[in-house]
Parts: sequence; structure tokens; C-alpha cells
Amino acid sequence: MLQIYLPIAEMSVNILVILGMGAAVGFLSGMFGVGGGFLMTPLLIFHGIPPAVAVATEANQIVASSVSGALAQWRRGNVDMKMGTVLLLGGIAGSFVGVQLVKLLREMGQVDLIISLSYVTFLGVIGGLMFVESVRALSKARGGAPVSSRRPGQHNWIHGLPLKMRFQRSKLYISAIPPLVIGVFVGLLAAIMGVGGGFIMVPAMIYLLRVPTSVVVGTSLFQIIFVTSVTTVLHSTTNQTVDVVLALVLMIGGVIGAQFGAAAGQKLRGEQLRALLALMVLAVSIRLGVDLIVEPGELFSIGALQGGH
Amino acid sequence: MRFSALTALLCLCALWSSAAQAQRAETVETDVSTRQIAIESNFSGARLVVFGTVTNSRQTAPESGVYDLAVVIRGPEQPAVLRRKSRVLGIWINTRSRIYQNVPGYYAILSTRPIEEITDKKILTKYGIGFDNILVERDTPDDPFRDAIIRIRQKDGLYRHSDTGVAFIGKSLFRATVDLPANVPVGEYWTDVFVFREGKLLSHSSTTIDLRKEGFERFVFNAAFEKPLLYGIAAVLVAILAGLAASAIFRKD
Repeated sequence: MLQIYLPIAEMSVNILVILGMGAAVGFLSGMFGVGGGFLMTPLLIFHGIPPAVAVATEANQIVASSVSGALAQWRRGNVDMKMGTVLLLGGIAGSFVGVQLVKLLREMGQVDLIISLSYVTFLGVIGGLMFVESVRALSKARGGAPVSSRRPGQHNWIHGLPLKMRFQRSKLYISAIPPLVIGVFVGLLAAIMGVGGGFIMVPAMIYLLRVPTSVVVGTSLFQIIFVTSVTTVLHSTTNQTVDVVLALVLMIGGVIGAQFGAAAGQKLRGEQLRALLALMVLAVSIRLGVDLIVEPGELFSIGALQGGH
Repeated sequence: MRFSALTALLCLCALWSSAAQAQRAETVETDVSTRQIAIESNFSGARLVVFGTVTNSRQTAPESGVYDLAVVIRGPEQPAVLRRKSRVLGIWINTRSRIYQNVPGYYAILSTRPIEEITDKKILTKYGIGFDNILVERDTPDDPFRDAIIRIRQKDGLYRHSDTGVAFIGKSLFRATVDLPANVPVGEYWTDVFVFREGKLLSHSSTTIDLRKEGFERFVFNAAFEKPLLYGIAAVLVAILAGLAASAIFRKD
């Protein structure tokens, strides 16, 4: 029933299952205010979509979900254009390198492994840190102390770097190198993992650059739109792995889910939300990690030779 | 009296005609239910009927079993690389690989009874009939990579076999039904029908089937591979429009 044939993934899937996956991840991303790529890409892979197609198509979907998010932030004046542009320049460079890396890894037959390993590593580390942090915040909140992560005026090693720039909207005067490096890193992740990279960029901007929390989300979404757009185009030209039919179905599901998620998110407290998100991130990481460690039922796999599509 | 004379005459006629048939060699004429299969957005697989007739059949009934048939349906051949995982530092990664030049994207073997019982290995190998007789590129008796291709493709429904998949429905008319799953590769397919009598190959007939993407699916696929830059830009524009539409619909303020 309601089977739809995906022209690039070259398989037939149930449109309701894909819509449901989009809606479920959209719900979570609306609730937690995250992009959801880090959940969607593994879900697509678990569903049998080839990893290279999953990653490239997910980059395309994130364009849609971050456009509507960024627009809302933009209306509230929460986007630091200058910071966003510096992050973006790094992001484009990172994405370019990442897409070439995916091409090389496909030829070597190691792309699935590297995608899984990246997920296990990043989700494990980020999920672990978030979990510890939110548990601490929860116990502090119970003790009655105010929860604050930003300590303005405190200097760290980043302030010793050259190429200083003034970022008015963020009220910062720092070197352009750290945001550039963060951008490169996020671009790499977008290309290899099919994520927007918000889960790296947001903590990096808060803890390393000390960007005010109000500006962080809008600026990160602004950068994500452009980096995932560039990544989509690069994957299309280099690997031909963007499936627009799949992306469109995911977009529709995601948009609807996100609306309900945002409403649900307002009923939960920030620390609880973060603890929940941390647990989910850890669960995905563990699931992918177990798949790498447990002996697979089938040791062999068939791959197409490049050009033999 | 008249009645028995007539019967005798009829019998004689039948004998004469079957003797005449015996002198003429059997040939096989076949066709398939569809010569063109289109993959469109609702494609979820296809069923193919291969049918034909053995001319000058000596069979008196469908179940006489004078003839043995083998039907091979073969999809487009492509080079493929087989990879094997091993445990390295605790995780399973691809370590060894082997390239096969002509791997059929689809392969089905249907017959009236197990093909090893029909004829000898030499003929089966010559025409590539049966899983044991395809992809034999090296003279190694045990090739785990080759076995893996067949095992994986069978699990995906792309390689199929049925020892009773061909049946006579008359003394000369036969048919075989085979399913093409939704994940079949596009390209040209060949159906080969082999007729055997007492282990000897009497006749061989071949038909081609064209399996191609049509309509929207074809448009998307061609765009992705022939105009990848435009395709990528279009994909981004679609996403931006979808995002704008979503915020216009759900805007609360």
C-alpha cells in the first residue's frame, strides 16, 4: 500500500513510513530546537537507504527545516550576520573537503564505516557531555541556585589569537580564526554525516566564543541553511546521491512534526529537555556502536564499481 | 463391425502422424507477457509470464514428462566489487575485496525439475544455467566471494530459482511465472528457454525485455546524472520554498 519508488536510492518504500519518520524526527527537533539530522540519517540507514544517499538527502531536507527556523529568529533580530558569514566561509571549505572525502571513501568501500564511526564518536561525546551537564543543572536547580553557563568578561586562550574582528550583534571583539575553524568543522560534518551541525556549533559558540545565548540559535541556523545548500549541490555534482523524492517526503513530515514538537517543548523545563535529548543522542550512538562491534550476520557486501551505475 | 474398422483406421492415422512427427525435430517458440516494463513512482515490482510451445511435440498429455524445460531470466550485467568484513581492533570493517566483471543484476532459473537431473554439467556451464554455473570466472572450486553474491542477491529477491517453476499446460504449451521485485536494476533483460529430451538440448529460444524508468522517475534520474549542477540547485530551491511555505502556513504572530 502507498509504495513510492525512490529514483536515486532505487528502491520502493512505504510513503507513510517515511512521512512518519519525518514527523517523528520533526517533533523531536521542534521540541528540543535542534535540526534532527543526527537522528534522521541513522533512521534512514536503519531503514535500508544506502548511507551515501541518506547523508546527501538529509542535507537537502535540513535546508527546508532550517529556513523556517531561521526566518522566525531573523524576525526577532537574533541573527549575527557577520559571525554567520565567517562561520559560513569556513563551512563551505569544510563541505568541499567532506564531499571529496565521501567520494574517495566510496571508492575504497569504507564510507559506511566512516559514517558510523563519526556518529558513534560525536554523538557519544556530545551526548555524554550534555547528560552530565544537564544532570548537574538539574541538581543545582533543585538546590535553588540560578543556572547560568555564560560568564561574561572571563578571558580564555581564544582572546590571544590574531585577526581580531568586531561582532556587534554578539557584543564580541575576537579573532576570526576560531569561528572560521568551527565553520570548517561543521561543513565537514554536514558532508560526511548529513547533519546541520547545530549540536556542535551551538555549544562551541556558547562555551568557546562566548556568544550570547539569544543570538546563538539564530546565527547557527543562518549558517546551516547555506552550508547544507552548498553540501546538497556538491553531493549532487560529485556523488549523484541526492534523492529529491525522498527529501520532499521527509520535508513534509518534518514540518508537520516540528509544529507539534514546539508546542510540546514549551511544557517541559530547559534542563529536563536537555537531559532527555542527551539520553536520546546517547541511545543512537550506542545502537550504531553495537552494530560495529557485534559480528554481522553477513560478512560480505556487494558494491557497484564507480561509473557502473 | 463398422465401428471397429473406423477405430482401427483412426489408430493407424494416429500412429502414422506420430511417426511423421518423430522424424521432424522439435523446436521451441516463446514469448513473454510484457516486452517493456516501466518503472514509475508507484512501481512495486512486476510479474513476468514466460510462455511458449514445443512444436512437433511427442507428448500425449501435459504430464507425460517427455521434455524438460529450463527458463533463465537474466538482468543487465555490471561489474561489482565484493567486500568481506573482518574484525580489526574490535570493530568489523571491510578488509578484503574482489572484483567481478559481469554480475547479473537479476537472475532467475526456473525448470520442470532440478536442473542437475535434466542434463549434464557441461551443457549447464556452457549456457550459464543455474546458480552453480554463473559467475565462474576463476577455476577455484570454492569461492566464498562468488557464493556471497548469490546468497546476498537471493536474500534481496534478485536471484531466484524454482525446480518446479515451469509447467506444461497442454501437450506442447508451457508457461513459467516469475516476479521482479521493486529493487530490480533497470536495463535489458534476456529470457532464454531451453528444451531438453533425455538430457539432450533440442532447442533454445531467446527474448529480450526492456526495463526502464518512465515519467517522473525517468526525469529525476536523468536530471541527477546528466545535469547534476542544475539538479542540485533545483533540490535546494525546492527545500527553501518548502521551508518558506511551512513558516507562512504555521506563522503564529
